[in-house]
Amino acid sequence: MIPGIQQAIMNTLQYMLFYLIFSLPLTLSYRTTKVINFAHANFITYGAYVAIFLHGIMGLNIMSVAAILAFLITGAIAVLNNVLVFTPLQKRGSSPAIIMISSMGLWIAYKYLLYMTTDIAHYYTIKNFVSYGRITYSDVPRGSVGGVELSQAFVASLITASLVVVLLYLLLEKTKIGRAMRAVADNPSLAEISGIPKSFVVNLTWFICGGIAGIGGVIWTSFSGAITPEAGDSMILQVFTVGFIGGLVSLLRTGIGAVLIATIENVGIAILNTYFGVPVSFRPFLTFVTLITTLIVSPPLGAGGGLPYRFLKRGSRK
Amino acid sequence: MIGFDIVGFMISWLTLFGIYAILSLTLNLESGTAGITNFGKVVFYGVGAYVSATLTAYLILMLNGVDVSETPPYDIEGIILLGELGNKSPMLNIGLLVLSLMIAFAVSGSLGYLLTYPILRVGPAFVGFTLLSSGELLRIFLQHYEPVGASKGLMAIPTPFGWITDSRVREAAYLSLVLGLLALTYVVTHKLINSPLGRTLRALRDDEIAALCLGKHVPRIKATILFIGSGFAGIAGVLLAYYLTSVNPNMFVPAVTFNVWAMIILGGFGNLKGSLLGAAIITFVDRVLTFVTPQLGVTVISPDYLRWIIVGLLIVIVLLVNPKGLLPEKPIKTPALDVVLEELRGESR
Repeated sequence: MIPGIQQAIMNTLQYMLFYLIFSLPLTLSYRTTKVINFAHANFITYGAYVAIFLHGIMGLNIMSVAAILAFLITGAIAVLNNVLVFTPLQKRGSSPAIIMISSMGLWIAYKYLLYMTTDIAHYYTIKNFVSYGRITYSDVPRGSVGGVELSQAFVASLITASLVVVLLYLLLEKTKIGRAMRAVADNPSLAEISGIPKSFVVNLTWFICGGIAGIGGVIWTSFSGAITPEAGDSMILQVFTVGFIGGLVSLLRTGIGAVLIATIENVGIAILNTYFGVPVSFRPFLTFVTLITTLIVSPPLGAGGGLPYRFLKRGSRK
Repeated sequence: MIGFDIVGFMISWLTLFGIYAILSLTLNLESGTAGITNFGKVVFYGVGAYVSATLTAYLILMLNGVDVSETPPYDIEGIILLGELGNKSPMLNIGLLVLSLMIAFAVSGSLGYLLTYPILRVGPAFVGFTLLSSGELLRIFLQHYEPVGASKGLMAIPTPFGWITDSRVREAAYLSLVLGLLALTYVVTHKLINSPLGRTLRALRDDEIAALCLGKHVPRIKATILFIGSGFAGIAGVLLAYYLTSVNPNMFVPAVTFNVWAMIILGGFGNLKGSLLGAAIITFVDRVLTFVTPQLGVTVISPDYLRWIIVGLLIVIVLLVNPKGLLPEKPIKTPALDVVLEELRGESR
C-alpha cells in the first residue's frame, strides 16, 4: 500500500473533473470549426480572473454569479476571436497551420494583456493580483462521503462536469440546433446548402466552448492556492493531450482521455515521489511521455492533416 | 531631451538583432520553407544558452583549482569567484567560446533530431503542440535542477572578450562575433534553400503527400532540417548567454518563440531577406521600448508586457492584412532559372 494513496485518488478524481470541463469544449470547438485554438488557455485564465477581480475589487464571493459572468465574458471573447480573426482567414482560404499560428498570436496577446490589467488593478487597489490566493465561496457546500472531506472545488467541479456532460449530450442529440452543429462538423458545405445558418452555428459553438472553459477557470480559483495569469497555460499540456487522445473528434474518447491522464499523473507522481523522491512539480513530464507515446503508437491521423503512412523502411529508397 | 547614448543603443540593438536574426533565419528554413510548425524554437535556444553557461562557469572554476562541489557557481561565493577568476586568460575565454559553440550546436541539434521521431506522422497541430510543450517542460526542469542554479539560474558568466578593458571595444568585439556567426547562418540557410533540397522542402510544405508519392524521404528530410535549424538556434543561445552574462529559466518563455514567429511572418514566409528585415524591425521596437519607457516615467505599464502584446497582435494583423509579409517569397535561384529568364528576356527583345 502506497502511503498517501487516498490523497492520490482524491487528486485523480479532482483533476479528472477539471480536465473534463476544460477539454470537452476544446474537442467540440475543433470538431465544429476545424480551428486548433491555442487561445483556449486564455478562456480558462480569463474565467479565473473574472472571479478574482469580483472578489478582490468588489469583495464578492458568490461562485454562481462569477460563473455566469465568466461564461458570458469568455464566450464573448471566443465569438470575437472567431468573427475578427478565424472567419476572415478561413474565407480567404488560409491553411489550418496559418489559422493555428494566428491563434498563437492571440494567445500571447491575451496573456500579456491580462498581466498588464493585473498591474493596473494593483496600482489602483494595492492588492496583489499576479499571484492570488484561493477564494472561499459562500454559496458552495462542503461535503463528506464515507469520512472523506470533499472540498468546495470538488463539489463545484462535480456539479459542473455532470451538468456539462448531460447538457452537451441533450444539446447535441436531442435538439435541432445540436443536430445542426453536428452537421456543420461533418460536412460544412453540405450543411450550408441544406439551409443551416453555418456562421450562426459556428459562433454559437464558440460561445458555448469559451463559456464552459471560463466556468472551469472560476472553479479553479477555489482549488489552486496561487492563481497567476499563466494558470491556463500551466494546464494547456494536459488539456490538449486529453483532447489529442480523443483525436480532437470524439467527445467520448476525450472523456476517457481525461480519466487516463488524471490517473497517470496523480498516481504516477505519488509513486515516483514516494520511492524516488521526484519533485511533485515534475508531473507534466508524465503527461508528456503519454503524449509522445500516443503520437508514436496510435497517431491521430485524421485530425489536423496527419499523413496516412507508416515509417519508410530503411533502404527502400533506391 | 535627456542624454541619449546613440552608439550604445546601436551596439545593443545590433547585437540583439544578430542573435534574433540567427533564430529567424533558421525558423524560416524550418517553418517558412519546410512547413514544420516549430513552436518550440525556445527549447533549442534555451538549451544552447544553458550548455554554454554551465560549461563556462564550471570549467573556469575547475581549471582555477576551485572545488565545485564545495563552492558551486550558482552560490554567492561562486559568483564572486567567477567575477575574480573569469577574465584572466584570453586564451581560456576564447577556447571556452569555441567549445561552447560546438557542444551547443551538437546538443541542440541532436535534441531537434530526436524530437522529430514522435512527430513524423502527425499533422502540423500536433507537431506544433509537442514542440511547444517540450519548451514548457524544459522550463520546469531547469527551475528544479540544482546544478544549473534552479530558479535563480547562473550569473556572472565570464564572457569571451572579458579581458578587454575598454567596455566600448569589448562590446564592439562581441558585436562582430555575433554578426560573423549571423553571416555564417545566412550563407548556410541561403545555400540550403537555393538547392535541390530547398525545392524538396517547398514541396513538403505545399503538399506532403505529393512529395511522398514522388519518392521523397519525408521523415529523413524533416529530421535533417530540424537538426540544422536547432543547432543554429543553440548557437544563438550561446551568444545570448555570453551577451547577458546570466541565464535563468524565465528568460525562455513560449513568448520568445512567437517573437521569432512574428519576425518571419512580418518579413515574409520563405524569404530569408525578409527574416532579416523582420528581425531588425522587431528588435528595434524592443530596444526603443526598453530605452524610452523608463524616461517617460510610466511605471504602471511594463515595457515587457507591452512588447509581447505588440508581438501577438502583429502576428494576427499581418496574417489578416498581408499574409505574404513585407518581402514575398521568390522563386529559387538556380542556374536553370537564370537560363530560362535569359531566354525569356531574349524573346521579348
